Amino acid sequence: MGTENVHPPIVQLSTVDKVLALGRANSLWPMTFGLACCAIEMMATGAARFDLARFGAEVFRPSPRQCDVMIVAGTISKKMYPAVKTLYDQMPEPKWVIAMGNCAISGGPFVFEGQYGIIEGADKFLPVDIYIPGCPPRPEALIEGILELEEKLTGSRRWPRVKAG
Amino acid sequence: MNGLTQLTDETFVLNLGPQHPATHGVLRVKLVMDGEWIVKAEPVLGYIHRMHEKMGENRTFAQFMPNTGRMDYLGALFYNHGYCCAVERAAGIEVPERAEWIRVITAELNRISSHLLWFGAFVLDLGGFTPLLYAFDDREIILDLLESVTGSRLTYCYFRFGGVYNDIDDSFIEGTRAFIKRMRGRMPMYHDLVTGNIIMRKRLEGIGPISQEMVRRYGATGPVARGSGINFDVRRHEPYSVYPELDFKVPVYHECDSMARYMVRMDEIEESMRIVEQGLDRLPEGPVMAAKAPKIIKPAKGDYYHAVEAARGSFGVRIVSDGTNTPYRLKLRSPTFSNLSLFGEACEGMLLADALALMGSLDLVIPEIDR
Amino acid sequence: MLDTIKAKLAALSPENISEPVYKEKGFVLDVQVAPEGVVAAAETLSAEGFFLEAITGVDWIDDNQLEAVYDYNHMASFCRVVVRTRCDRATPEVPTISEVYPGADWHERETHDFFGIKFLGHPNLEPLLLPEDADFHPLLKDFKP
Repeated sequence: MGTENVHPPIVQLSTVDKVLALGRANSLWPMTFGLACCAIEMMATGAARFDLARFGAEVFRPSPRQCDVMIVAGTISKKMYPAVKTLYDQMPEPKWVIAMGNCAISGGPFVFEGQYGIIEGADKFLPVDIYIPGCPPRPEALIEGILELEEKLTGSRRWPRVKAG
Repeated sequence: MNGLTQLTDETFVLNLGPQHPATHGVLRVKLVMDGEWIVKAEPVLGYIHRMHEKMGENRTFAQFMPNTGRMDYLGALFYNHGYCCAVERAAGIEVPERAEWIRVITAELNRISSHLLWFGAFVLDLGGFTPLLYAFDDREIILDLLESVTGSRLTYCYFRFGGVYNDIDDSFIEGTRAFIKRMRGRMPMYHDLVTGNIIMRKRLEGIGPISQEMVRRYGATGPVARGSGINFDVRRHEPYSVYPELDFKVPVYHECDSMARYMVRMDEIEESMRIVEQGLDRLPEGPVMAAKAPKIIKPAKGDYYHAVEAARGSFGVRIVSDGTNTPYRLKLRSPTFSNLSLFGEACEGMLLADALALMGSLDLVIPEIDR
Repeated sequence: MLDTIKAKLAALSPENISEPVYKEKGFVLDVQVAPEGVVAAAETLSAEGFFLEAITGVDWIDDNQLEAVYDYNHMASFCRVVVRTRCDRATPEVPTISEVYPGADWHERETHDFFGIKFLGHPNLEPLLLPEDADFHPLLKDFKP
């Protein structure tokens, strides 16, 4: 989604594009948009043990004007929905969205017959690029999500995939 | 909004949140400001209202357990404890000794990890980034210990009606003892780095006074009440579980300002470590689950109440039962709800930066308020 | 403490007053009053130094009534007192106690959000947890979203 709304330049230089994509991917600036429990795991990922700074993404900016990626961490309630949409619209292009946690993917454990208060998933109104399941997902899962986003931007993955077991 | 009637030519309305680095979740505060001074503050809630009480009516008692971990996610074991105790009181289930001790040990470890995160986030609000990293480092060790026993890092669902579902083993006990030893060595460093720091002292001493009468009129509990000189702790007031057999102090400070609330929580970390040590020393053998715990809980008609001392205050559960296996009404009395309700009155006439120090010292977790 | 407050509350002539067993129920005094009596009960309790723990609503759809339950406790020595009142489901009105206990402000707004109980004299009965323009009361038993 990221660069689709940007007009393509008149002169196209594919090597420069590759370098730009590499630069963007390795210095994603997330927005501090923790809504609920997943926010704590996001903070833990930025803290000392898991250290998101290794991947270039430790600069969490509160202002949407200075961010690339919005990590929707937590449940989106119907009252909060206009604020989320406004914040997304305020982010400058190119921008991406990561839906972190079950609530941002599909409403999570709060979906039940007769529910009146939440939006069932961020992708109901935002174009989500990466989904990270979990309730809450482990910090390693969030790091894997950021690496998947980097792979989506550059087309290749610089960090090895960790095999289970 | 009532405050708008106080707008003059010199005042303006400033909107704090709902997306703000210092509001600890999605809290919005409408501030009527006169320059840097707050004329009137009105918190607006509901941005993370997740319908827990409605879900309580739609689910059986056992199916509601995972919800309890998600209200106050930093002190999830206290919510587990409060809910389990309320259902056990309603249905008349006895809990074996070993399970009670395990509940207290794990819950007090959870209190330490909750206060550590509060400590890091509070100093971050005031502008200091480093203590957050140290606090998270210590907290990760507790999370590892609790993960080995409960299976989750954050939103625990460990207690069951009649006990706990998983026993603790020797590696947990050794790991906890090693952690306490390490933490005792770290606390002097925290006090040197933060408590004795002249900037912290200037920003917290005398800031955000909350009188005893205000605490009583708003029903604030927990460290907010104890920082104002009121010796109120549910563990001593209405003893439950094995707390009557434990030797621990309840820290009370009388200055009523943000520094007092800060010191109450730092002392509570020390006291929780003492409780965990006593628990590990006195842990009896035996089953961890009641032998005759019923599979389907159907309490008799009527209403029941149980309160526990959560990390933020007195957490109460009121169950209204109609004899079926789902609650007729499940009310969750959250401590932060009452604690935050005094914010409007407490921060009139303060500087904005001081109001944020006050908000941090109240230790807010917004999903617990909105439920 | 219990005997003093029981005597003072009995003097307000409630509809019913009983002492449940603490171990079974969690509270030691249960007082049922008419809706008009909640303010007098709150003033009596406040004069004795009690604080308000919670206000709950319960929808008794079979009796066609809504109940408001007030939990009070004392910080110096334990004494949990429950004050209940029932009002008609079609026009539920209970006087506010927010003059006596400012903390009741938010509790009453929440109960109004969930059940639609109007607290007469409340300074600002706007939705607290629901969106500002919400016109539904979700915890009623016949609520359909």
